Amino acid sequence: MRIQEFTKGIIKRNAVFSLALGLCPTLAVTIMVENALGMAFAVTFVLVLSNLIVSVIKGFVPPDVRIPCFIVVIASLVTVIEFIMRAYSPTLAEHLGIFLPLITVNCLILGRAEAFASRRPVADSILDSLGMSVGFGLALIMVSAIRELLGSGKIVIFGHEIVPTVLSSPAVAMTLAPGAFLTIGILLAIMRRFRVI
Amino acid sequence: MSRARVAGLKPALVLMVICMVFSAILVVVHDLTKGKIAEVEREEVNRALSEVFPSAEFEKIDDYYKVFENGVLVGYALLGEGQGYGGVYGGEPIKLVVGVNLDKTVKSVKIISHSETPGIGSKIEEENFLSQFSGKTLEDLKLRSDGGKIDAITGATISSKAVVDIVRGEVQKIASEMGEGR
Repeated sequence: MRIQEFTKGIIKRNAVFSLALGLCPTLAVTIMVENALGMAFAVTFVLVLSNLIVSVIKGFVPPDVRIPCFIVVIASLVTVIEFIMRAYSPTLAEHLGIFLPLITVNCLILGRAEAFASRRPVADSILDSLGMSVGFGLALIMVSAIRELLGSGKIVIFGHEIVPTVLSSPAVAMTLAPGAFLTIGILLAIMRRFRVI
Repeated sequence: MSRARVAGLKPALVLMVICMVFSAILVVVHDLTKGKIAEVEREEVNRALSEVFPSAEFEKIDDYYKVFENGVLVGYALLGEGQGYGGVYGGEPIKLVVGVNLDKTVKSVKIISHSETPGIGSKIEEENFLSQFSGKTLEDLKLRSDGGKIDAITGATISSKAVVDIVRGEVQKIASEMGEGR
């Protein structure tokens, strides 16, 4: 068990900015910080549990059926979190919409199962998934904070105004798909320039 | 069966066992949450109904509600849904509640849920747009460009048209019900 397995996923091997995995939800749900937090929570739940389960069952899963087995595990976990969200946080489930069930095909989750959890000890796998989740969550929050601030002029999280109206005529394009590509592209360029990742 | 053939079955058996275990887990979670999910959906509908007709009682008949205030019939409420702009990309349809007065004019419209583009189509839930519907008759319920009296939201013609079409459909439905002398 090494602590680097946790820390590497946060900045150095950040899911979005370094590995470029899980870009689809990053582009789609980062309209508001609130959605980003919901998506980050759902992905953390699925990623940590799937890494744990995959690492536990890796010993007796034959190599030829390992991908179908991982997908069954991941899809089931996604369905569980979807049921729970629809029951206890319906507005969030509605905002995330189709991207909640689509966590199943988030490359980050299958990627970590295949590349890490299926060949490492359980403790390392949990640390890796936690680090990756934190990194993914931070990336979503960064992108969504920029987009919500520029696109809506203020940041509101679960009914609390975190940043009051700073722009009276916000750039609506930032809440649309082009805004997502622009934000991620510029952040990526800045990080590469200053060798953060 | 030879030992080799048994060994060949192992991958299929492992996959089957994993599928069965996770199906069982899903059955349990579904059972635990389905009551709560149904309750959340009912609450959403009830909240929208009471926004359209505050302090009234609702009696559900087939696919619409009769609305009573102090025991007197004051109108009808209907739930409508249809595809807006968001639905085209696999999003949720627009769901709304229409309140209809006894004279077949619209009392008011409330959006329950939608997945229209934020900042553009999402303006269909704002009072500026929805207040236009109050008092309109069936003939008025078209966009102004189609000869009606409803102004579309700038840049969101498809979303606006979807709402108008859903409302017109529901008013038509209740008008023909009332026409049958109920």
